[in-house]
Amino acid sequence: MEDFLVGLAFPLTKGILLGGLYVVIALGLSLVFGVMKLINVGHGDLVILGSYLAWAIMGWLGIDPFLSLVIGLPLFFVLGFFIQKFIINRTFRISLDAALIACFGISIVVQSLCQGIWTPFNRSLATDYRLLTFDVGAVTIPLRYLLDFIGGLAVMIALREFLRRTYLGRAISAASQNEPVAQRMGINPNRVYSYAFAIAMACAAVAGVLQGLTFSFHPTAGPPFLIISFGVIILGGLGSMAGTFIGGMIFGLTQTLGGYLSGGSMLVQTIAPYLLVFVVLSIRPQGIFGR
Amino acid sequence: MKIPRLTTLASIAILVVLALFPVIGIPLRWLNYLFLFFIYLALANMWNLLAGYTGLICLCPHAFVGLAGYTLAIGTWVGVPFQAGLIAGAAVAALFALIISYPVFRMKGIYFAIGTLILPEALKAWFNFWRPVGNQYQGMGAGYSVTGVAGVTLGDTYWLALAIAAVSIFVVHIILRARLGLGLKAIRDNENTAASSGINIFRLKLSSFVIAAFIMGLAGAAYFIFSPRIQPTGGFSISWLLLPLMATVIGGEGLEEGPIMGAAIVTFLRFLLADYGAWSLFIQGIILLVVVVVMPQGIAGLLRQVGAYRFPQRLFQAAEGKIRRT
Repeated sequence: MEDFLVGLAFPLTKGILLGGLYVVIALGLSLVFGVMKLINVGHGDLVILGSYLAWAIMGWLGIDPFLSLVIGLPLFFVLGFFIQKFIINRTFRISLDAALIACFGISIVVQSLCQGIWTPFNRSLATDYRLLTFDVGAVTIPLRYLLDFIGGLAVMIALREFLRRTYLGRAISAASQNEPVAQRMGINPNRVYSYAFAIAMACAAVAGVLQGLTFSFHPTAGPPFLIISFGVIILGGLGSMAGTFIGGMIFGLTQTLGGYLSGGSMLVQTIAPYLLVFVVLSIRPQGIFGR
Repeated sequence: MKIPRLTTLASIAILVVLALFPVIGIPLRWLNYLFLFFIYLALANMWNLLAGYTGLICLCPHAFVGLAGYTLAIGTWVGVPFQAGLIAGAAVAALFALIISYPVFRMKGIYFAIGTLILPEALKAWFNFWRPVGNQYQGMGAGYSVTGVAGVTLGDTYWLALAIAAVSIFVVHIILRARLGLGLKAIRDNENTAASSGINIFRLKLSSFVIAAFIMGLAGAAYFIFSPRIQPTGGFSISWLLLPLMATVIGGEGLEEGPIMGAAIVTFLRFLLADYGAWSLFIQGIILLVVVVVMPQGIAGLLRQVGAYRFPQRLFQAAEGKIRRT
């Protein structure tokens, strides 16, 4: 029994730390979902694009992937602003379904772009600290998982402060709470959408770096991240930062504990999060804390 | 005697001409193109039935195609002839649709889309590990070849695909003119109003979902008779979703002739861009985005808008009138 508990400590910590990565991905998704009630189906692929960008900058300039965000973050922000302005805003005026299909189109374009430029092989952000581990008591923790957790916490706090303290942030919160009223208060919804998507893309850039450090990636690795982060949103509830954080932890734990309890089966590890999302969706279609 | 309408006669004539192609010995390359066109057409028609007429943005055709393909492949390994495997594959796809219908129909709109997107991903992971028949040395759980189809010529698969495509068009045509189609359109336009007018939403959605799954399964299984090797990444490949989606959106969603035009364009593009590898998909994605932004009604919608059908329609009517008089 004691052995079992000691053995459990490693997947437990790993799962909680891994949750940080899912939080970063889910925050971007939930920001867009909040203001537009639209799931950006291409979000997972944008995360992978972020990984590739960091990898490419690392190759060119030989700098640390986190330092590459100095270039990647603004680039993604501007790119997101224009994607929203020229593609999604226009289709959004037609119908939500058209916008969904446009997001799907973005997903295809991004996937094939990665495949075209960087070939379909597996890559990873090979830094010298990537495989470092350190011991806390009896548990050995990989450094990259701790970085995920720190990254998740940092992005969450930054986003929360942004949404609370700046004019733009408050406009985004207002538009996601009640759009018609927000519009009457002089908030331009199209601009708010554009900025929301731009910030979501910036989150994707950060998530891309963390993802690339944690796992290896290939051009079609995006959809699982989309599904998991969607699960995080419906578990954690829209607009609740703490909920999103807990949701991320739950998904991290599902994956690591599922793998551990089934004796390291890759099948359970891959399928468990999907099943969790599907079951939650079918029991509470609007999510656990959905409105 | 009642004279059949000229449009009916014309479509039968086109069908007969298409069916004669393998006999009169046109180049095999052409048969190849047309075969894929028919498969895409059947898929696109069914996707249009779901998205355009029922309002279900279903992101899981690859689940149906993959399941049907795997049923066919595994069936041939245990001695089921591929003709029976074809039907069994479609039946398994339809059964799968029936099983998942209860949970997925509880989800609405965007939730439905994501809920259906999960299924093929989960199935792909499952089939990566699950290997019911055959030995371990043929790669871990991954691929199967379809055995016992060595004697099948391209002409046979061509006729099979033609039949499936024709059936898919016919099914949509019939459904739209029956009570079912009326109910489906009502659900698409406003679910609550439809429910309060006494439409059994669940049953209608279920019938269109199961029919679509069955025919998509048929088309998928037919493809794997043509190219007899299936892998989780191929069977549950997202391109099985992409092709019908693109064909429907480019051609015109919710219009009967839309998928036909769309499937023709998608097939054409696929072969035109075949040499460019990943960039082919990139260009197709860009085209999809341009169509969604610039002409959301698709090509068929645009043609209807500018009244391009008026002239041939008048021609047909005039010809028909002449036949009636003589």
